Amino acid sequence: MNENTENKQIEDILRKAHLPEPSSELKERITAEAAKAWKQTSLELPWQIPVRRLLVSAAAAVFVIWLANSSSDYSLARWQPRRLQVEHQQFANLDTLTEIPYSPIVRQMVSTGRSSSITDASVLRSYAETMRNILDEAQQNGVSKPPAPVEGRSRLFPTQPGFNSYS
Amino acid sequence: MNRSWDNILDKILPDNMLQAALARNDPATVELIWDRYAGDLLAYLQAVLCSRHDAEDVLQTVFVRIVRKRHRLAKARRLDAYVYRMARNEAFRLIGRRKKGRTIKAVNESWLIVPEGRHESNELAEQLQAALANLPQPQREVIVMKIYRQKTFLEISRLLGLSPNTIASRYRYGIERLRTLLGNIIS
Repeated sequence: MNENTENKQIEDILRKAHLPEPSSELKERITAEAAKAWKQTSLELPWQIPVRRLLVSAAAAVFVIWLANSSSDYSLARWQPRRLQVEHQQFANLDTLTEIPYSPIVRQMVSTGRSSSITDASVLRSYAETMRNILDEAQQNGVSKPPAPVEGRSRLFPTQPGFNSYS
Repeated sequence: MNRSWDNILDKILPDNMLQAALARNDPATVELIWDRYAGDLLAYLQAVLCSRHDAEDVLQTVFVRIVRKRHRLAKARRLDAYVYRMARNEAFRLIGRRKKGRTIKAVNESWLIVPEGRHESNELAEQLQAALANLPQPQREVIVMKIYRQKTFLEISRLLGLSPNTIASRYRYGIERLRTLLGNIIS
């Protein structure tokens, strides 16, 4: 027998049966359940959905960052038994620092720099002018040779032939 | 009016109207959705589950989910495909629960009816059911939708999100297998 004819026969046999339609009792039951669910859930406004997602994402991101920080602190705690004490050390008296080369000039420059607060162009100009005068004066008077460095200690400035190289 | 326009209006406009009603938060939409989808969905679920009782339970779950997800359905690109996907997911959820033994076993009952008056009605219904139950589920759902709900391959492909060629080949393989299984009836 031809394959198509056989397939047609199968389809005809299948069509002898049918699937029952949903009964009215089933409709009542399901629509009642659906109506109950409708009342329970309020319709969300469309804009609320992305806003809520954004808030949830932001909260999750904050939580992850907090968790990472906590984890980092916890894991590093054993290597940091105490906080580093940062001490601010000031030069109490520049006269006592005998190792600073060109000490008279440096003292003068430092005191000038401390006394002036550079806030605008005119102050900056006057500051630069003062500095230039100090340096000129030092050059005219002849710079005293810096003291030889103490063995094993460094100097603040490397040995230079003079201030000319900076000007 | 042109026949093709008739089809478009039949198939698309009601879905658009349903989605508009869902967007308006109109509770009467439940009944409209029932009228449009209940018969097709019940047939589809029976094809997947091979049980009328289970199909009715899952249909109820699907409708409750439709109501709860109505804001999504209102914006869905294809309402019908979305609803079928929900039904399919719920059916597979039940199958999964049943495999894990968390729900009661399926009730062995007839879900295919041969009209009274045919002398061989009960026997034929049982044979057809047994033959259909022996088919792989993808082939069975295509055959049920094509034979018992008069859907075209194109409609089935859109509902299930597959290509028409896949649907056609599933149908062909299913019919060929049924030819073997129902050989005694043909002869």
